[in-house]
Amino acid sequence: MSVEARDGGRVVARFAIADGYYLYRGKLRFALADGTLAAPPDLPPGKATDDPFFGKVDIYRGAVAVDVKLDRERAGETVRLVVESQGCADVGVCYPPQRQVVAVSLPQPGARPGPAVEAAPRKKSWFNQGGGGGGGGGGGGGGA
Amino acid sequence: MEDGGRRRRWWRTVTLVLVGALALGLGAYFGQRQLGLGGAPGTGRDASALLAIALPDADGREQALGQWKGKVLVVNFWATWCAPCREEMPEFIRAQGEWGGRGLQFVGIAVDQADKVRQFAGEIGLNYPALIGGYGAMELSKSLGNQLMALPFTVIIGRDGTVAHTQLGPLRDAQLRSIVGQLL
Repeated sequence: MSVEARDGGRVVARFAIADGYYLYRGKLRFALADGTLAAPPDLPPGKATDDPFFGKVDIYRGAVAVDVKLDRERAGETVRLVVESQGCADVGVCYPPQRQVVAVSLPQPGARPGPAVEAAPRKKSWFNQGGGGGGGGGGGGGGA
Repeated sequence: MEDGGRRRRWWRTVTLVLVGALALGLGAYFGQRQLGLGGAPGTGRDASALLAIALPDADGREQALGQWKGKVLVVNFWATWCAPCREEMPEFIRAQGEWGGRGLQFVGIAVDQADKVRQFAGEIGLNYPALIGGYGAMELSKSLGNQLMALPFTVIIGRDGTVAHTQLGPLRDAQLRSIVGQLL
């Protein structure tokens, strides 16, 4: 997953999902480390699948780009976008929900946006129970 | 002449089919290996570290895994957000019902929240303990051979406390029955 600035108030998050893997559209979450977004981003349509347990769910395969409008104009600032995602592999395994944080610098008005920033190593997610276990770094899966 | 040409074509077809089948087979084999599915590393390992832990069940009661020492123990790491995990659990419920009296004990360790586990356990009529592991359970499963830290992951432990089988991905009914049948 990588994030690049569009302008002082918008970024785009790109997911590159490896062959044989998919992400659940409904499990994508976006937030700012130091605040909330003005509104949840509009997610591109996924591929509708009929899951025997979850019913009709939309999934993403391949490349997905999500435009994220920030809470306000933040030209010249560095924002930390928090992205949560969850996915599975076709062979019949799923990966825990993961949280990735990407710091991206927003351009000054009129300046060109900087290059895309790759997500830091995967972090633990919502099911942290405090204490227990080091590092995170889980997955190795979808390469999203 | 005509005959020779036909034979050559036939051999070429056979060779192509064989090479294709070999490539497919190798592809499938290495694909599986790359994903680490099936019998994962860890077999033959002493399970005492796993048997020494205690985790809360969905009602918050602490459960020591050591209480099931001496039984054939099937420890299944799962979550409600994991469709393949949910899919294989009715089979575990059947096996627990059928073989529980002969010393088979399933224990689920959920990488999940207690309320979701409680609700799902009620829906499917879970007849074995569902413990709540959180992220620590993923780390624990990694130490037992779940290198990809994906779910479902299942560890089968013999009565002597050694790991008889580890499985990343769904455990097929026939496979489960064959392994457990030998251990009971």
